[in-house]
Order: sequence, then structure tokens, then C-alpha cells
Amino acid sequence: MEQLFFTRFLNQYFGGFAARLLSALGAHPVSAGEKTQYLFTYNPAAPISNFFAMELLVVGILVVLFLWARARISVDNPGPMQHIFELTEQFIDGQSEEIIGHHSSHFTPFLVALGLFILISNLIGLIPGFESPTATPTVPLGLAIVAWLYYHFHGIKKQGPVKYAKHFVGPMPILAPLMIPIEIISHIARMMSLTIRLYANIFAGDLVTLVFFSLIPIGIPVIFLGLHLFVSLLQAYIFVLLATVYLAGAVAEEH
Amino acid sequence: MPPEPDKNSAKTKWVQIESYIQLGVLLPAATFVGWLIGHLLDLHFHTDWIYLVGLGFGIAAGFVQFFRVALKTTDD
Repeated sequence: MEQLFFTRFLNQYFGGFAARLLSALGAHPVSAGEKTQYLFTYNPAAPISNFFAMELLVVGILVVLFLWARARISVDNPGPMQHIFELTEQFIDGQSEEIIGHHSSHFTPFLVALGLFILISNLIGLIPGFESPTATPTVPLGLAIVAWLYYHFHGIKKQGPVKYAKHFVGPMPILAPLMIPIEIISHIARMMSLTIRLYANIFAGDLVTLVFFSLIPIGIPVIFLGLHLFVSLLQAYIFVLLATVYLAGAVAEEH
Repeated sequence: MPPEPDKNSAKTKWVQIESYIQLGVLLPAATFVGWLIGHLLDLHFHTDWIYLVGLGFGIAAGFVQFFRVALKTTDD
């Protein structure tokens, strides 16, 4: 795997620390291309991978943007950045109120953060020298696990563990031995479907752009970059929308 | 699910469309997850038949989700 400029920079200064941290967590050093029996490994020549470097960059960009907008916040004379953030917050807040109902506004910070992280992660791949972290399955899986834990946590918090567990039993107690495994599989499948869709769309978008760029480098790739831009926006929206729908199902009193 | 305020709004339509798109992924995903759980149990207990039970539950879970979404959308 070829290191990106930012990954090389991080590995130069923090590679040693990352290697020690990964070893302490139980990862095994395995050189690129070497066969291994271990599941949790890292490349000793470059312990920080491209996707992780890009994730850090996205978090950095978001933190800088939020701090910049926060410093320039004004009621009388809002700037363009404040308008963009307010519009994003209002859009997601309105959507979650429509799907979840009243008292949905305390979920908005999580959903906005999730949506913006996915959006910037998808879009960063359009810039030469960078790649979308969401084009690596580990990142969408991490996001899906976070969304999955979040909606279960709020379901249990809202209804209590016993009442929430009753959702898994189904309408008839006699069918419980059948329904419990079915419901558990359904919930795990949600996590998997969230992961696959985001990863597959962004990976395919990157690949199609790259293939057409290598075939016809002038003009045509612009169309695919436009398509990738649309897919990036749509996938970020769909991920947040589905997380909201699952959240609504978890905190609803009745299914 | 909670009652939705405006069933004809564009966002509600998106939710419905997305529910259908979700089915396309959820059905095979549920089957795979069922098989995977069964396979892991087979490895753990040194057996060779639990994956079939897992596969059955996975297919059932996919179909249960399918009918839930289909019925809900028809009701709307």
C-alpha cells in the first residue's frame, strides 16, 4: 500500500508511538505482503494506515471549522459558515422530529456530527493526494457500530432493559424461541447493511473515477467526479436517515 | 414507529424509498449473519450442522424484515 503524503508525515513523527500502542493492544507486526495467521496486525514500516490518517484529518478539519464558526458566531450579522452550520443543524433537527417525534432534539448533536463526518470523509477523496476513509470497510463498520450502540443505548435508557428486551420477543410469547434469534440477526444485519452500502458506494465511486481517468484523462473524469460528489452527499444523508429511523424504532413506545 | 406528521412530505417519501432500498441489502445481509453465527458456533462446539440452523434463522429474519417493511409501507 502506497502511503499518502499526510500518512507519511504522521508516520514520520508518530509512527513509533503508534507501533508501541498497537503492540500494547495486542496487534502483531506483519510486513506488507507477508502471510499471517493473526487477525489484528499492523505494518511495522507504516503503523498508521492511510484510512486512519484520513480519519484524523477529517476530525481535524471539522474541529477547525467548528471553532472558526464558533469564534465568528453573531445573531445580527451571521457569516456564510454560520449559515451553513445552522442550515445543516435545522435540516437534521427537522428530519429527526419528523421521524422520531417530539423530544428528538437531544439526538441532533450526534446525528449532525455523524452526518458531517461521513460527508467530509466521502468528499475528501475528490482532492488529489487524499483518499476517502469511507472507501475502506473498517471505517463504515466503525460508524455503523457507533450508530448501532447509540440507538440500543437510547432504547434501553428510554424504556428500561426489560421493556426494551420485550421488543425482541415478538407479539406472541409462544413464538419467542423463534423470534429472539430472528430479531438478533435482524439487528446485526442492520449494522452490516449500513457498512456495506456506504463502503461499496464510495469504493465504487473512487474506482470508476480512477478507471476513466486512466482511460481518458481529459474531460470525461469530470462527469464521474460530479457523480461521486452526488453519491457522497446521498450516502451521508442515507446513513443519517437510517440511523434516525433505527433510533425512532428503539425509542418508540410501541413497535 | 411513531406517527409521522405528514405522510405526503418529500422526506417521508425518502424514508419509504430508503426502506425499499434497505430490503435489497438486508435480505442477503441477514442470511449471511445467520450463517456466520452458526459457523462460529460450529467452530466453537466442533460440530458441522449449526450453520444450517443459523442459515435458516438468517433467511427467516430477512423475510420477517421484508414483510414488516412491505406491510408498513402498504399501511402508509
